[in-house]
Amino acid sequence: MALQLNLLHEEFKEERQRKRDPLKLGLIALGCFGVILFLYYAWNAYGTMQIRSQLNVAQAEWAKVEPQVTAAQNRAAELHQIIDSTKVLDARIENRFYWAPFLSIISQSVAPNIQLTSLDGTITDSGVISVSLEGLAAAREPRAAAEELRQLLSEQLEKHYSEVKVTFKNLEDLDTLLNLAGVPTASARFVVNMIFNPKPAAPSKKPESTKENQGKEAKEKPAAK
Amino acid sequence: MKPKKLNKDQIQKIFLSTLGFIALIYCYFTFFLGPLNKSRVTMIQTIGDLQTKTASSKTELRKTANLEQQAKEATGRYEALQKTTQDGAPIAWFPPKMRAFFGDRRIDKVSARLESSSDFKEPELSDWVKDIWAIEVPESDYSALGRAIADLENTEPLLSFQRVVIHAVPEQPQYQQVSLDAETVLFKK
Repeated sequence: MALQLNLLHEEFKEERQRKRDPLKLGLIALGCFGVILFLYYAWNAYGTMQIRSQLNVAQAEWAKVEPQVTAAQNRAAELHQIIDSTKVLDARIENRFYWAPFLSIISQSVAPNIQLTSLDGTITDSGVISVSLEGLAAAREPRAAAEELRQLLSEQLEKHYSEVKVTFKNLEDLDTLLNLAGVPTASARFVVNMIFNPKPAAPSKKPESTKENQGKEAKEKPAAK
Repeated sequence: MKPKKLNKDQIQKIFLSTLGFIALIYCYFTFFLGPLNKSRVTMIQTIGDLQTKTASSKTELRKTANLEQQAKEATGRYEALQKTTQDGAPIAWFPPKMRAFFGDRRIDKVSARLESSSDFKEPELSDWVKDIWAIEVPESDYSALGRAIADLENTEPLLSFQRVVIHAVPEQPQYQQVSLDAETVLFKK
């Protein structure tokens, strides 16, 4: 049997020790770990870049929409202002008092033996109409003629307005006789105050049974025949 | 088999490697991955915010478009009411307008003067001004006056009479002297 002698065993040992050098092994492990970390970072960076591109898209969309939204918000505010203003103006228009129909009522209520000398009408702050009417009444009973006028005014005004109050502020006989259709006639001077709400009075409720009764009657009639 | 004992040099190298590893980990998380993740989170939040804002903005745009449709009538009416106010100072055009209006109805010598001008208390009417005018009619027939007032009330929606005073003219019983206090709502130009 041949004798094998390893004359280089010391060199082999050094070589083995070099290979098992902890620093070298540590550096290799560190390098491997560093590569893994770098790959992980690259993966994250790629994801981040994708998110950045999404952000750019979102920002571009917002940049496109933002001026439109600002304009729309301004327009909406303007439209709300217009709607509100129109409502208030319409309310003013609808609630204003029309003097022409009132003057027409006055002219229709004045009999030939009445002469009006003055009319002073005002809309108070609360919206109530206050009118002072001054004039002369000529008749055998001038006070009665003035009273007729007052009652007629009251009746006519109640047809169109609510809370009507027509009262005499002053009614006095005059000493002088007025010439009415060639006849000297006694006269009286009067001042009538009228106060009323320009809104028409609420219509009185009809009895509920009326329609029902009419319906029943209509049904009963053919049956009776 | 006994584990081989590390010599001093090897222990130093292992310690150095460990230090290097810790330094690497620290630098990696502090200077690389940390800021990257932070910026990613920030970007995701920003995207979320922008998407929410964009979505709400689109809703807002739709609402405004709907409102525009609904407000068509009001807008038209508002423009019509605005047009009742002529250009220029009211004191320059309102008195001649009244003179011409009554003149067309055979009521002459009508004068109008501005009594007061004030803003409305209502915030909705901040663009409008309330003027009170004293209109004097020295001589008028009652029925002609009534028709003129009716025409004025029907053609001028933003004009209303606050006071009407009619006196008989002593020398001419068929005529009346008239004072009218008219309130106008005019658009500020």
